[in-house]
Amino acid sequence: MNFLSEYIYYIGAFGLIFIGLFIVLVKKNLIKVIIGLSIVDTGINLFLITLGYIKSGTAPIFSEPGLKADNMVDPVPQALVLTAIVIGVAVLALALTLAIKLYKHYGTLDLRKIKEQKW
Amino acid sequence: MVNPILLIVIPLSLAFVVPFFGFISKKIEKFIPFVALLANLIISLKLLPQVLEKPVHVSIGGFLPPFGINLVAGPVGILFTILIALVGFLVSIYAFTYIKEKDQEKYHMLYLLLLTGATGVVLTGDIFNLFVFFEILCISSYSLVAYFGDKADIESAVKYLIQGAIGSSLVLIGIGLLYGQFGTLNMADIASHIHSVNSIPIFVPLVLLITGFGVEAAIFPLNAWLPDAHSSAPSSISAILSGIAIEVGLYAMVRVVFTLFGASSILTFLLFLGVITLLIGELCAFSQENIKRMLAYSSIGQIGLIVFALSIASSYGVTGGLFQLVSHTLGKALLFLAAGYMIYRSGSMNISSFEGMGRKMPYTSLAFTIGAFSIVGLPPFIGFPGKFMIVKAALFKQEMLFTILIFFILLATIIEGAYFFRVLQVIYFKGEKSTLSQKREIAPLSILIPIFIFVGLIVVIGIYPKLITDVLESSASELLNRADYIKSILP
Repeated sequence: MNFLSEYIYYIGAFGLIFIGLFIVLVKKNLIKVIIGLSIVDTGINLFLITLGYIKSGTAPIFSEPGLKADNMVDPVPQALVLTAIVIGVAVLALALTLAIKLYKHYGTLDLRKIKEQKW
Repeated sequence: MVNPILLIVIPLSLAFVVPFFGFISKKIEKFIPFVALLANLIISLKLLPQVLEKPVHVSIGGFLPPFGINLVAGPVGILFTILIALVGFLVSIYAFTYIKEKDQEKYHMLYLLLLTGATGVVLTGDIFNLFVFFEILCISSYSLVAYFGDKADIESAVKYLIQGAIGSSLVLIGIGLLYGQFGTLNMADIASHIHSVNSIPIFVPLVLLITGFGVEAAIFPLNAWLPDAHSSAPSSISAILSGIAIEVGLYAMVRVVFTLFGASSILTFLLFLGVITLLIGELCAFSQENIKRMLAYSSIGQIGLIVFALSIASSYGVTGGLFQLVSHTLGKALLFLAAGYMIYRSGSMNISSFEGMGRKMPYTSLAFTIGAFSIVGLPPFIGFPGKFMIVKAALFKQEMLFTILIFFILLATIIEGAYFFRVLQVIYFKGEKSTLSQKREIAPLSILIPIFIFVGLIVVIGIYPKLITDVLESSASELLNRADYIKSILP
């Protein structure tokens, strides 16, 4: 039980990542694949935040005397996550745009039926 | 002293200015990439002599290396920025007449962003910053592949996007794991703390990073997107994707393996991966009927050869690998540009539609021939010294394994020769005699100038390889001596 409460965020984050990867690999509908990519992104962001998280920690600002550095949350992963979220949104927007275009051309989003390009 | 940060700032800021110039006049916007990349080329060439003596470091915002983001303009970085600026510059001239349809400002903006991303990846010394620039490169290339918006373009862009996005996710997980263990993002700082890659907590991020960057570099099991994307993109973009984008992916991978992890135990694996990639690429190229698809598969093969050469990890081998990289960049860019113009005229990508091109378009065909000879590795073109150095470096090792692998590499070269000569035969010797009477078409100057500059470079460096070997040797020593790299950043 102790193990679970200590690592619950890591388990959750990697759980999301693997669920997302599973969706990308198994689903045939492009929209679902894009949702899978988005879930992978969310999992990674959660993972990065967890790296610097301290339970009941404070923000790393020395606003009043007596605050100690070892009870503060690491700010670097949060900065990374901000950047990663922006990148994730850009990829998601582009993917959805392409999905609209693909639907206009083929009339379907089923990836099995879209095979203009062959090996 | 010129500040290397200008190499990133100039194209990035000009990229966002492109639409504003579009308000003034639609005719100006196509000259902006030309100006930006010319500036980059001059700055990189000016930095080169300084960098060969001592790498230039820039700490952004004045925060010193382990804490702030830093740029490292070492010989490798400047070698790549010169290549990126040179190829980008020449292709931007090609685009003057080649890109006529649709919204041109979007093309030019994304084009500049793609090259900014590539420049940033090779200059940065911070692993997360590398990821960000890598994403700039990837996102702009996804959208450029879909630029014409045809059925095939959109489909290959979707394929590329899904695979690329998963690759980038793996890279980000790897970076997260490294940060969790070392509490730093500076590459030199991480490298100085990694002592052995055999322990699991360090091996896992190594694998994630190699796989993630391997998607963009199109190493064998991860190369499914490449033939589709490279064959359906506009030809000018195919030249950039084949000549720059996959090389930058390879750079990121090599930087991670050599500098960040010092992973000498994984090199044997990469040797085999390189040879398999080479064989698969060349065999698939052999069976193609579509010219751009053939060139794309040939790129996969060449990347395999470069991976093999770099994994030999002797100073001669790495120099040979970088030489091959330069020759592939110049040769493949030339081939895509020349083939692109022939496709533009004949309207079909099928090899059989090139019949009689040798008489109809003599200059473009000549350029294509020289590019093909150079990629196959015939003297006196640039491909020859590269392949020669790789074979020599492998034989210097005097191990049975290398001798066997060299056999496969030479076999792959023969296959390569076979399919390129087949195309040349179609261009020059096939077709009805009646095509003789057809009027010759001389390509416009903006197409011919970049093509012939590439031809000139290929011939000149091929005859006199000493021109670039000094730079390549110091680049190889930067890659191999990770202790020096760490010491130069963290004194």
